[in-house]
Amino acid sequence: MSTISLAEVTHSYGAKQVLQRLSLDIDGSQLTCLLGGSGSGKTTILRLIAGLETPQGGLITILNKVATNKNHLIIPPHQRKLGFIFQDLALWPHFTVYKNIAFGLTEQKQKNIKETVHQMLDYFGLQAYSEKYPHQLSGGQQQLVALSRALVLKPKILLMDEPLANLDVKLKRKTLGLIKKLQQNFDLTILFVTHDHKEAFAIADKIVILNEGVIELTGSVEQIKNSDNEYLKYFIEF
Amino acid sequence: MRKSECLWYSIVYVLFVLLIVFPVFYTLSSTLLPDTGSSSLLENLQLINKDSFFLLAKSSAIAFVIAVLTTLLGAVSGFLLFKTNVSFQGFFKIALLVPLFISPYILAVTWNDFFYLCLGNTDSLASYVGVILVLTSIYTPLSMAIIGNAFSNINAQLEEAGEIVADYRKVIFKITLPLVKPALLTSLALVFIFSISEFSVPAFFGIKVFTTEIFIQFSAFYNHSLAILQSTLLILLCLLLLLSEKAYLANAPFLSIHGRGIKTKIYHFYRWKGLSVSLLCFWFLLSVLLPFVALFIQSFQDGTAKFIQAFNLLKATFINSIGLAFAGALITIVVGFSAAYAAETKKRKSLIWLLLFVFAIPSTIFGISLIKFYNRAFLDAVYSSYVIILLGYAGKFSFISAKLIGNAIKQIPKSLDEAAQIQGIVPFRRIKMILFPLIMPTVFTAFIINFIFCFGELGTTIMVYPPGTEIIPIKVFTMMANAPQALISSMSLIVFFITLLIITVIYSLSKHYQNVNH
Repeated sequence: MSTISLAEVTHSYGAKQVLQRLSLDIDGSQLTCLLGGSGSGKTTILRLIAGLETPQGGLITILNKVATNKNHLIIPPHQRKLGFIFQDLALWPHFTVYKNIAFGLTEQKQKNIKETVHQMLDYFGLQAYSEKYPHQLSGGQQQLVALSRALVLKPKILLMDEPLANLDVKLKRKTLGLIKKLQQNFDLTILFVTHDHKEAFAIADKIVILNEGVIELTGSVEQIKNSDNEYLKYFIEF
Repeated sequence: MRKSECLWYSIVYVLFVLLIVFPVFYTLSSTLLPDTGSSSLLENLQLINKDSFFLLAKSSAIAFVIAVLTTLLGAVSGFLLFKTNVSFQGFFKIALLVPLFISPYILAVTWNDFFYLCLGNTDSLASYVGVILVLTSIYTPLSMAIIGNAFSNINAQLEEAGEIVADYRKVIFKITLPLVKPALLTSLALVFIFSISEFSVPAFFGIKVFTTEIFIQFSAFYNHSLAILQSTLLILLCLLLLLSEKAYLANAPFLSIHGRGIKTKIYHFYRWKGLSVSLLCFWFLLSVLLPFVALFIQSFQDGTAKFIQAFNLLKATFINSIGLAFAGALITIVVGFSAAYAAETKKRKSLIWLLLFVFAIPSTIFGISLIKFYNRAFLDAVYSSYVIILLGYAGKFSFISAKLIGNAIKQIPKSLDEAAQIQGIVPFRRIKMILFPLIMPTVFTAFIINFIFCFGELGTTIMVYPPGTEIIPIKVFTMMANAPQALISSMSLIVFFITLLIITVIYSLSKHYQNVNH
């Protein structure tokens, strides 16, 4: 069974059809890149998997449990065992770094929460910033806080919506390496959305090319690179 | 600032300081630091006795209760209307705002009629509880608008990031509500100042509070020194509150509000949808429908005679009142825009602070300051004309337009102006062609709000109106003491309908303007 499975999923915003009977299987411990242009439906797929939106039709299964059936939300977002990195990171501005990371840890004892958060801070080298607010951090540090917040709950799946969009080239390269390392260390299934094919080629185990809500092509980096798909050629060229 | 901008700003600044701020400072300082021959500062200070402080404490307590209640109710209704999928949202958003657009003294009459019809007397209303009830119903829409607007401005992703790790209750209480803390505090501070400065409602119910006491000292006992000293206490209290709010918010990391174009997170209440609609219906019934039905019944209980009499009495005041309110609103927009533009784009904030200072002065005291200054032979042109009323409006309400327009300017990306700047467009053309069209909806809103405030203003107007002035609030208020209740109710009903008519006309014009521009 796949870790994430979308079957015949349809979604629209008003009159605009975004996904048309889309089916996709994502296997465990892989880093899958959703690659496509603006409006191709990449972010929508992430939001549907996270449960932030419900589709008009189709079935979404996560970790072998039905999460969404047609337009019924069966498992709420916080029970789907996943982490989400938003494009603008969405760090809570009124919380310190510590509180941003600790917010989701409710079912543990206070002492355990402290320990868990400090482990995360140590792992990402953020110990010195634990009492700082997000606006007092650099872009790279904010990125690390967002990753810590997503991983502190030990999710099985990590959804990343263009997480490198606002970083410079050097930091981008560094973060790509970090993501790959995190995938192995935390045994994660990562779904990574990007419109940059170079990012996808650098990091992905599997690439899914999207075009206007339809999957154009799926395969490993090598398969994609060697493909003579017209849309892919056009997309990479421009 | 370029030369042309600087000249414009300087003219507005100098006029505001000379015509409004200086008279206030002059009156306050001449009372607190009198010339030889009159009583000394020490003697004057001794006039403020224990009773004054006790009354101030009591008035503060009442204002605080009103501020807390309105903020709570405003937060709940704002949340339901701006953050959930509750039914009939559009209707409630407009209907629940109605009390805000009606002058407080008219609302007092409606509640009076409501209690009279339900209980046969108004004894229970003519008390501190009555003042709290009526003022809460008046200012809840203000809190709802402020907090609702803040709710709809939260970046949806911040709440969604919470939803990934916690259930919706925790997200609402730990993320959504803390993010609107600035709006909650603004609502608390503004309603506190409005309530403690409110004169007409306690006066209508015959309740002694700090503002009515100042009015009595000034008008009945001609004890101007005590009235102004008491006023100074109130000004200090209000300024202290506003400054603490500003200081607190300046250090708080709440800058989460997004710009335009990012959608708002809506909570889907399935099980609670019925309860939410019932709550809103109940508040609509209580704060809008029932009091106005009571007003209607009272007006027509003896046929149409009283209504016709009321119409004839008010007929002569319509043009004056509407004209003055229109001119007043226009002036507040000009002053408010100048102050907001300088503060937001040039970081020149001194005019905003002056507007805030005058805004914090209770209406009656502001009125006293104006007449004490302008009551001189060479200033008779101001003292005995409508100009003094317009100065009152400009002083009291320019801060509101500055605040609203300032927030709108903040949301316009700088790059839009910079793009025009690079192409060599002069500042006035940039303001006219780029900034102004983008903030036009807010300018219209500020105009409507200030028009309504000017139209119903009583606290300052009753102090400064020249003899023989025929405007609606003065006419209704001076008749309240002696005229039959049915006549007062009829007058209030007429004012209510005129206000609604004017709002509808201005609103339609603004919609038409927006459609043309799109």
